[in-house]
Amino acid sequence: MNHQLIALLTVMAPLVAFATVLIGFRSKHTVASSIVLISGLVTLVGAALLLFNGPVDGTVFSARWFVIGDHVIEFGVLLDGRTRMMGAVVALITFCIQIYSLSYMSHDPGRGRFFAFLALFEWSMLLFVFASNLLQMFIFWELVGLASFLLIGFWYEKPSAVAAAKKAFIMTRIGDIGLFIGLILLFQTVGTLDVVRITQIFAGEGLPESIAPGRIELIATLLFIGVIGKSAQFPLHTWLPDAMEGPTPVSALLHSATMVAAGVFLVVRFHELFLDAPGTMRFVLIIATTTALLSSTMAMVARDMKRVLAFSSISQLGFMLMGLAAGSLFAGFFHLTTHAFFKALLFLCAGSYIHKFGTNDMVAMGRAGAAGKMKITTIGLVVGGAALAGIPPLAGFFSKEQIIGSLHGPENLIFRIGAYAAAFLTAYYTFRMVFLILRPGIDSEAIEEEPAGSQHADAHDEDHGPAEPWQIVGPIIALTLGTLGAGFLGNRIGHTLLIEHIHHPALAEMAPAIVIALLGVVLAWLDFGRKGARQVGFIARLPAARTLFENRWFIDTVYKAVFVRLAVGFAKLMFGAETRGFDGGADKLGQGTVAAGSQMAKAHSGRLQFYVGTAFVLVAVLVFYLGLS
Amino acid sequence: MTSSLLTMMLLCPVVALVATLLLPGRHHKAIKIVNALCGFASVVLAIVVWMQYDRSAGGYQMLEDYPWVPTLGIHYTVAVDGAGVVLSMLTALVFFTGVLSMWSLEKRVKEYFAFMAALVIGVFGVFISLDLVSFFFFYEVAVLPMYPLIAIWGSTRKEYSAMKLTIYLMAGSALLFPGLIALYTHGGIGNWNIVQLAASGNFEREFQIFIYPFLYIGFGILAGMFPFHSWSPTGHVAAPTAVSMLHAGVLMKLGAFGIFRVAMTILPEGAAYWAPSFALFATIGIVYGAFVAMRQNDFKYVIGFSSVSHMGIVLLGLNIWAAGGDAAQAGLDGAIFQMFAHGIMTALFFSSVGFIYDQTHDRDIRHFGGLVSQVPLAGSFFIMAAMCGMGVPGFASFWAELLVFIAAIKTFPVLGVFAIAGLVFTAAYVLRVFGKAMFGPRNPDWEKLVDIRVKSVAIWPRAILVGVLLLFGFYPSLILDMIRTAVAGGQ
Repeated sequence: MNHQLIALLTVMAPLVAFATVLIGFRSKHTVASSIVLISGLVTLVGAALLLFNGPVDGTVFSARWFVIGDHVIEFGVLLDGRTRMMGAVVALITFCIQIYSLSYMSHDPGRGRFFAFLALFEWSMLLFVFASNLLQMFIFWELVGLASFLLIGFWYEKPSAVAAAKKAFIMTRIGDIGLFIGLILLFQTVGTLDVVRITQIFAGEGLPESIAPGRIELIATLLFIGVIGKSAQFPLHTWLPDAMEGPTPVSALLHSATMVAAGVFLVVRFHELFLDAPGTMRFVLIIATTTALLSSTMAMVARDMKRVLAFSSISQLGFMLMGLAAGSLFAGFFHLTTHAFFKALLFLCAGSYIHKFGTNDMVAMGRAGAAGKMKITTIGLVVGGAALAGIPPLAGFFSKEQIIGSLHGPENLIFRIGAYAAAFLTAYYTFRMVFLILRPGIDSEAIEEEPAGSQHADAHDEDHGPAEPWQIVGPIIALTLGTLGAGFLGNRIGHTLLIEHIHHPALAEMAPAIVIALLGVVLAWLDFGRKGARQVGFIARLPAARTLFENRWFIDTVYKAVFVRLAVGFAKLMFGAETRGFDGGADKLGQGTVAAGSQMAKAHSGRLQFYVGTAFVLVAVLVFYLGLS
Repeated sequence: MTSSLLTMMLLCPVVALVATLLLPGRHHKAIKIVNALCGFASVVLAIVVWMQYDRSAGGYQMLEDYPWVPTLGIHYTVAVDGAGVVLSMLTALVFFTGVLSMWSLEKRVKEYFAFMAALVIGVFGVFISLDLVSFFFFYEVAVLPMYPLIAIWGSTRKEYSAMKLTIYLMAGSALLFPGLIALYTHGGIGNWNIVQLAASGNFEREFQIFIYPFLYIGFGILAGMFPFHSWSPTGHVAAPTAVSMLHAGVLMKLGAFGIFRVAMTILPEGAAYWAPSFALFATIGIVYGAFVAMRQNDFKYVIGFSSVSHMGIVLLGLNIWAAGGDAAQAGLDGAIFQMFAHGIMTALFFSSVGFIYDQTHDRDIRHFGGLVSQVPLAGSFFIMAAMCGMGVPGFASFWAELLVFIAAIKTFPVLGVFAIAGLVFTAAYVLRVFGKAMFGPRNPDWEKLVDIRVKSVAIWPRAILVGVLLLFGFYPSLILDMIRTAVAGGQ
């Protein structure tokens, strides 16, 4: 088979599945899920074939879509190292999650629709990743957002899910405004929509002659605003923790290989352009470091397992952007890949517990005996957690190491310190989660949330078959293996990306990161793991900080109090202007006219005396006036 | 090239009108069938016109020219350019689906369809007329039936709304009339032909700058131009379903089309002079409409103000064209495309809301919840229309808005940024309606709602409209190629 055909099959299979299921099989659940699974498999095989023997040099397969003026708009698949790698990750993670959903969603009345939306999600993400022109990129960027909206709000009868979906859509759309304007300006500046051409333009040393540096900074900043929204960076990060209102497989997908990954991938895609905008890269670095630190602190005090994971996603996305902003395409992209594995794994583990125990609360899960009853899930949790914490030799360690390594030089000192601090906190909160589940202290001071915040519609215990059916265990095992192995793929990934020299840090360079990660784990052990631990964490001794962290630095509160209120207030004002001003004014004008008319009508009273009198007065006035002039 | 296609298309609603008047009022079914057939015929003819139109030649085609009042130089002159073709198609589609949407009407069926046919005659006439007097004649024919249609078959303060609408539109006509007469007297060529007037070169700059606002505002009122828009949401709300469909779907486009065909074509210098100011008003309309929609609780008011917002995009695009420059073409493409897309989209909106209203006689979004699980099909149609309104890719509006915004960033960067920011507020009001009415817990009061049945007439109009939105969403060049010829020949 030639590459063109494979590429076509890879990207179009999910669309076919989506359309078929949505139109024909929404209520025939088994058929629907089978169709989607087959499409997922086709995509996975195709993406793997492309990854292992696809073209390396930016080959584009495209079909003319239409022409506007002089611009031919094409619908294409761009194959180079970045897209092949990312495409394979998306396909693999999605397929794992589709299998997992077979069991997880097996009792849901709307699972036909669920699978259709999963296919839509995959299709949008793939065509975004493989996009060969700016317009296609923007279209599928938007569709990724739409699919997330549909999936986050999947349980649409739950007001909280609807609110979360709405929030996600609007917050990311605020970012999209930046992206949209940025893409328009980019197009006007370079005069082409072609991604390969754009990459070439910016690939050389320094800026092309015709482009002013200020313009590129502006474009890069605008594009990055889109990334802030999509990849949940400060200050637009608040939608992601709420997005866990969707079913857990959706969270797993959204946090690892799709949605939030789209933002980081945009920076990967246009890394050459971003490198030509050093000012913006500095800005990215500041935002990313701030985000990584802020969200780590929030994760330290959350009790909802999915929420901890959501905060950790935000923080890890910050790490990726730090690597990219420091100039290392490899570091950022490597972390994007490894993170996809262990974050999907952790969410699937979380879902497995939630499915079984009917609660999101880690303390409650631990006390219910999660560790003993669900061995494979727990192994997955420990492996995923260790990877997230950056313990060698797991996936997260190598990629995080690359990121910290890229932050060299005195000008990056502050960011390196920030990265170390965030890495320490990551290790701490991750193992807090692990120990709370693994070593529940019945008499500890940890409090179960009342009422236990369950989000799974029906919590089924033993009577619904095995706690760990193969559909759940299989993907967890697969991703566990991936998490164990992905860290060693660094060279391969670098090779795929056509990066010649990958800096392999010596042990001395790695030492600080290892020590810091281990320190975090040790502190977590003392606080939560050891026998008789109070299980409230050192943060309990700092009530002010705790309040701050638990309320997520009051960012949401401020947004509600300021921006939401401003928007609503402004809408109220406009509403008032409409009803009392434009509309009311027009009504008043009409009423005034009618009133004037009825006053005039009174003059026509039919009384002869009045007419004669009026005529007399008028004649007198006229005579007087004429006499004067 | 002479052919009588356009006149035949115009005759479809005329036949519908005459047949409706001749048929005895008690034969409801017959009247509906005749109207549906005429609607279908007009769709077919619109397709034929579309096919016959020679895109490579461009310009005005299928010209028919007969003297009407020779002493005053008034002719019946019809011809279409690309924009006319596109908008005739829109009219035919909305006419046909509108008739199907009113299939369950029982009250004064005969009169209703007669007025509706009259309205459609006017709309077709405007889109194909090249003579100012016949243009204005058809324009008034289209506007006047709105009064009885709303006052008799409407709801919610219907007399008030009908009166308000009529007075606003008459005020617009009052501005237009002197403007048109000035064009005739000043043009000095003894006839009212739009093309010849535009080519005459007899309008000096000062005259253009003075007369242009009369025409722009006169037509603009019908296009829902801020700040003269408030008749339109009120009218939407009061009008029965199919009239709302026609009203928002095609009638508002008459205003925008008038601006394009008459004001901007004949007075280009005046248009360029006023473009920044009117673009500002258009942008205010975009943002303002979205914000007001955020506070509305009536389905139809939300859609009404969304129309103000979306028509703002049309007007912004037209003003970009008038201002000239590199992006002019994209602005016009976007504007005409948006007229079409918005027409289909609002028709779908009102059609879906009408379906729910017919059963509940309630339109307050706070009184609903979980409609998508109670009436999945009707709810889905509404959601698709709303997504189109939000500019989601895959629906026709996406392209229209994209083109206008690209052009706006180039021609009026500041306004462009504000207009694009309007997308956020559009999402906000749409999702608010979703959250309150479409999603959320089911409202037990409406458990007995009946959904659209797959094998009923009710599904056809909605399915056709969704199909059109998706068709042009996935294959926009179908329409863009057509619009583009308009301007290549028209300039």
